[in-house]
Amino acid sequence: MQRLILVTLAVLTACFATPETASARIKLITLPVRERVEIQLDNATATLVEEERIVPLVKGVNQVDFSWANTQIDPNTILFRVLPRPDGEVEALEVKVLSVSYPPNENALVWQVAASGSGSARVRISYLLGNLTKSFTYRAVADHDESTLVLSQYIRLQNFANEAFGSTGLWAGFGPRFLKAVGINETKQILMEKHENVPVRKTYTVDATEFGYLDRPKNKLTVPMHYVLKNDKANKLGQAPLQFGKVRIFQEDGRGSTAFIGEDWGKFTPLDDEMRLYVGTAQDVVVVRTIDKNEQKRIVGSLYNREVIVKFEIENFKDRAITLDIAESVRAIRNEVVGDTGRDVEWELGPATTFAGGLDKSQSTFDKVVLHADLDARGADGTAKKVIHKLHIIIKNEW
Amino acid sequence: MRRMTLCQLFVIGLAIAVGSATGTRAENVDLSTVPDRNTVQLTIYNSEDLTLVRETRKISLKRGINPLQFSWANTLIDPTSVELKFLTHRDELEVLDTTFPHAKPQLLYWNVESEFDGEATIEITYFTSGIRWSADYVLVADQDETKIAFEGFVRVFNDSGEEYEDAQVRLVVGEINLVERIAQLASIGTKDVADLGKAATVRWKKEAVKYSMFADADSSGAGLGEMREEKGIIKEGLSEYFLFTIDGTETIANGWSKRMRSVKPVDVPLKIQYRYREVEYGSQLVRMYLMRNDVGSNLGTSPLPDGIVRVFRDNGRDGLSFLASQSINYIPIGDEIELNLGVDSEVVFELVKGRVWRDHIWIKVDGADVFRRVDDGNIAVDVRGSVAGWDEHAYYIQHVRNFSGKPIELEIRRLLPGHVVFRNGLGAVLHDYQTVQVTAKVTAGQRAQIRYEVVQHMGRNEKQANVKLVDIR
Repeated sequence: MQRLILVTLAVLTACFATPETASARIKLITLPVRERVEIQLDNATATLVEEERIVPLVKGVNQVDFSWANTQIDPNTILFRVLPRPDGEVEALEVKVLSVSYPPNENALVWQVAASGSGSARVRISYLLGNLTKSFTYRAVADHDESTLVLSQYIRLQNFANEAFGSTGLWAGFGPRFLKAVGINETKQILMEKHENVPVRKTYTVDATEFGYLDRPKNKLTVPMHYVLKNDKANKLGQAPLQFGKVRIFQEDGRGSTAFIGEDWGKFTPLDDEMRLYVGTAQDVVVVRTIDKNEQKRIVGSLYNREVIVKFEIENFKDRAITLDIAESVRAIRNEVVGDTGRDVEWELGPATTFAGGLDKSQSTFDKVVLHADLDARGADGTAKKVIHKLHIIIKNEW
Repeated sequence: MRRMTLCQLFVIGLAIAVGSATGTRAENVDLSTVPDRNTVQLTIYNSEDLTLVRETRKISLKRGINPLQFSWANTLIDPTSVELKFLTHRDELEVLDTTFPHAKPQLLYWNVESEFDGEATIEITYFTSGIRWSADYVLVADQDETKIAFEGFVRVFNDSGEEYEDAQVRLVVGEINLVERIAQLASIGTKDVADLGKAATVRWKKEAVKYSMFADADSSGAGLGEMREEKGIIKEGLSEYFLFTIDGTETIANGWSKRMRSVKPVDVPLKIQYRYREVEYGSQLVRMYLMRNDVGSNLGTSPLPDGIVRVFRDNGRDGLSFLASQSINYIPIGDEIELNLGVDSEVVFELVKGRVWRDHIWIKVDGADVFRRVDDGNIAVDVRGSVAGWDEHAYYIQHVRNFSGKPIELEIRRLLPGHVVFRNGLGAVLHDYQTVQVTAKVTAGQRAQIRYEVVQHMGRNEKQANVKLVDIR
């Protein structure tokens, strides 16, 4: 049901010069229909509707009345533009908008439009419309060995604007334009892009600050497993930033079907960035974290250095080798062993650190230490080799 | 529906003197004539709820005392502002007194003494509230974002309770000082006007349509069957303000508003800058459209009044993209127009604190007013004392990745309170004593890293409250 109405009032009788004769005027109302509608969804928070109508005008001054009911059109954003004729066609009419009047207590406005002759003009009316919103969702299907996946991106349009749109152009600011009808209270999900053979990196990470403990009394850390996709061309993506949205992840089961293995909110991912998707907890990787050493060395007066060794006892019960990412917040370590002083931590890596390769400088910052541990698969007898790694942090100039 | 009337009163019944030795006015039975307005001019201020109304009327006077009644039921007129002037026969006419009757609010009497019999033109001026105007702008950038089509509009709102037909409309741009609000001085508030009833509103609306169609046709000198030009707006300076006068006359019915173009579409050169200014735009890099209100930019004929700017861009697909909606403050002639379009998803900006360390640590020896520097080698480990001063070093890397397909200009301002040394090889300058400004250009597809070190003097090392720049190139 169309709730937006465009009306033109054409004066058929001779012009009357005084207000007293106004009641004698004979009016003809025409209702120009929409010729074309485009819904622009490229703004993060606003939806712009552009509709074209062919408006019959008479020579002189015309009133074009635009009204709406029960829709959230922002009246201050309504634009009225007369479109030029296509190339090659003679400009038949000169059309100018003289003014816009807004009646009280009514969702309507009246354009005063002057025309140089009688004829029709193609006009485009644009406005921001509330309750017509978009979101994005993804469906990822990983292959059986989890080395690549197929990522399908969908746009979901929810029309609670109380206005029906017939065949309407939809564009999200990237990807293809769609021509669809969108009914009132309808939710329309459209496949935007399907990316095949996207390499996926599977990571296992422990971070006591970010992911916490699986079993605190036993100091067992939670080991979340993530799928990491890189949004660049080398990884079969990189056409546009990946929009925020829910990602449902499936895996081929090797028997011609798929199984749902988890879902996560995919954050907005610019080009060249990584989208990390938390799939689930890897309980076959056991990591016990303990503070092995906490020793204070006075420099002078109240000024101290402190040596802390964090010990990780790691067992991989999986049937394949993996790399475990270990992240620690140095400030959280200092707060754990001393308490919070309110100051950033000056630190350096101590010689007792056992991780091969040392600090991952690309991911580490003034506060975050990132290291990696390669873990063998469990043995043929089902037992896992216990690997012990130590992180030696020298905290300096504390008081 | 007109609520303001001027009546000439003639005594025909039992006369009761009302305090004037020079004439009597009937209290219960009156005869009056109602002279129409000849002209009306509205001067509307946008900084205050204030409009100066100046209207002229022709009246016939007899020699002697002529009582005039002026009333303004259900309007928002400030009674203390009503004035009567004589535009003709100035030497032969005099206002003897003005009476505001206790029993009849929104009404006054003038006793006018005339030395002649005949017609005179009078001018009545008063302040009213309930009429206001606002400006707004529609900007459409071309696809390449090198220029922007700039249009300005003014919108006049009439909620005053009174119809002003064929009024000359003048809009005042600027901020005036008022010691009392006009709406408070008027006898009823705006809300009461709004509550006058739906029937009255509908009646006004119908009349307004009627008036607007005919009055505009008359005022332009063209009939409905003739092509009409859009009205122009004359802009001129007035003291600290600017006056926009709309060509011809306008009828804006009560309850209605009318929007007219104040700046005809012009193409304005556009500059794009990316800014990081935490104080102004938060902790994010924002994309700015920058223009100038000057003749070189096809503007500059008047200041741009406060208003809402709505920014669109040609999306290259025979349509527009909505970019932003933003309020701007008054922009004088020659000044810059700055529009914040928000974060650009094609330009990635990350601030990383890479390393922290401390030096120049001072210990205050317990029990004495003695300070020892820790790293000078002349202090024993077991000295009892506490840290009294140090320098805190932080090394920052600002990563910028430009996927926009075009080179971008970057400006970073960082507020660094306290006593700070800013060490860099970037040619940084001080925006003010505690704000550092760095500019850079990042080519299309480039990943740039902007590195600098901030040294904060703390405790007894803090001697100043400013930033010192050290160039380490």
